[in-house]
Amino acid sequence: MAPRVVVIGLASDFGCQVQMTNIEDHLLDVLGLIDLRYWQLASSGHLPDSYDVAIIEGAVTTDEHVALLERVRETAGVVIAIGACAFTGGIPALAALGEIDRHCAVVYGDTPPVAGVTRRTPGPVGSVIAVDYHVPGCPIDTDEFVRVLHRALQGLSDRPPQDPLCAVCKTMENVCFLERGQVCLGLVTRTGCGARCVTLGRPCTGCRGLSPEANLPAAAGVLESRGLDGAELVRLFDLYNAAREAVR
Amino acid sequence: MFFRMVEKDQIADLVRGLASEYEVVGPVEKQGRFVFAPVTGAEELRLDYDTTLLPPKRWFFPPEETIMRFRTADEEVTDDEVFAPPRVLFGLHPCDINALLLMDNVFTRDYVDPYYKARRDNTLVVGVSCTPSDTCFCNVWDTDEVHWGFDVFLTDLGDRYYASLRTVKGAELLDDYVKSSEVTEEDTAEFQRVVGEFKQAFDNDVDTTQLPVLLDAKFDSPIWDEFGEQCLSCGACSMVCPTCYCFDVTDRLAPDQKSGRRVRTWDSCQFKEFAAVAHGQNFREGRASRVKYRYYHKQWGYLSKFERVLCVGCGRCARACPSDISPVRVIEALQTGGVR
Repeated sequence: MAPRVVVIGLASDFGCQVQMTNIEDHLLDVLGLIDLRYWQLASSGHLPDSYDVAIIEGAVTTDEHVALLERVRETAGVVIAIGACAFTGGIPALAALGEIDRHCAVVYGDTPPVAGVTRRTPGPVGSVIAVDYHVPGCPIDTDEFVRVLHRALQGLSDRPPQDPLCAVCKTMENVCFLERGQVCLGLVTRTGCGARCVTLGRPCTGCRGLSPEANLPAAAGVLESRGLDGAELVRLFDLYNAAREAVR
Repeated sequence: MFFRMVEKDQIADLVRGLASEYEVVGPVEKQGRFVFAPVTGAEELRLDYDTTLLPPKRWFFPPEETIMRFRTADEEVTDDEVFAPPRVLFGLHPCDINALLLMDNVFTRDYVDPYYKARRDNTLVVGVSCTPSDTCFCNVWDTDEVHWGFDVFLTDLGDRYYASLRTVKGAELLDDYVKSSEVTEEDTAEFQRVVGEFKQAFDNDVDTTQLPVLLDAKFDSPIWDEFGEQCLSCGACSMVCPTCYCFDVTDRLAPDQKSGRRVRTWDSCQFKEFAAVAHGQNFREGRASRVKYRYYHKQWGYLSKFERVLCVGCGRCARACPSDISPVRVIEALQTGGVR
């Protein structure tokens, strides 16, 4: 019997769920492997009471998200976090920098939230419940998503790439941004994206999170030695990784 | 080996002629740096290049290649053909030709690698002389000279090339596509003068005295910890190295899981998982040990087997390493006992 799968969105722009539809040519092949019971972006139904695999997009920003995730964890045998928001807190976690109440006051004034939710400091899914599999990136890479889904369905271990980005960037024969006097976060960012941004002419912004093998002090030293500000590394890295302390 | 003189304006004819029979790959400019890329005419070539971002190894051993396709239902191999089109690598420097010879030791001797071998057999090499840049140290390993491993080698004598023809095929190509002339005694004297000037142009002074012994004697030296602290574990050094040959092999299933392909990709000894084995054991847990073994392999391990160090002094790793870790700095540290 095909595993019953649900796709749930928390705080995000749903870009990773859209990315799932971008599997296009192979979407039916992938759907053939699973029994899709609920897909928040694409279905008008409700989250069923029982399922085997929960795919979660988005950051945790309300107490209601926490209650939902706790229910999901009790129900699902396997939880997969997809995208920067779910994995590292992503863009929503930027709100956690400084005083969140002040940020909210600027955006919402002093009226209570219309949706009737209770705000909390934004964080990744892993800060609330145990996550079994991770697909990094903003947005996710469709091929990588399918590979991780395969691993989950086969019961293989979660193995997101570990090393920094530079190696694959070299294989793309990109001219290093550091040589051009620009900060690029590839030095410390988890590989696996094929260095797309750099190949297209933009420095890495760290959307795939901190490489577990990153050498942050050495990387800051690299910037200093090129006349750049070492503190820039952390400041720029905050864009997708402000909640990195909470990443598990 | 025999020799011919070729006027520089003949190179356009040579490339045009070669392109009618082969894919011609040579140095072209990319954002102020250079890469080896397919060209259709000599006007695209930049034979005055200093070095390229990636070495020519990628044309024999690509960063990623499918080595076979298979069906999962019956585990049958459906395709294992090697893609090896007839190709000319045009404009290789002596260091890179020497690097290919070092790669040949690994890929074509005890265990023949059919993928590398097929491309090597189908590729002609045209070398060209160079001018040392400030990161070059090929003179240290005597890889500033090359005596085989090419079909034609062009030494720049100003308005003409002194063409060394190493293979029959190389001589035929020159015969077929360009007008060349006999070499005179004066030409050879000029060749000697130019080569002599080239040798004088290196300004580095790397002391390799007793290097393998020093590596043994300084196995526990704190210099390795210092380099370990600087290393970003990014693997850039291995990717750009013309003599790094380590690879990983993985199976990638199609989305429907009914078929798949076996892929090999360049690997790096600087990655933590490189020496990880079953049960989570890792022989090179720390950065320092990984940096150290990179140098032990290159300057000791390979030397003990093939009587050459596994480095040609191209300087690509020195340019690519964000932390400026380079063979020159490591050797200096071994000689002096301190990292500078």
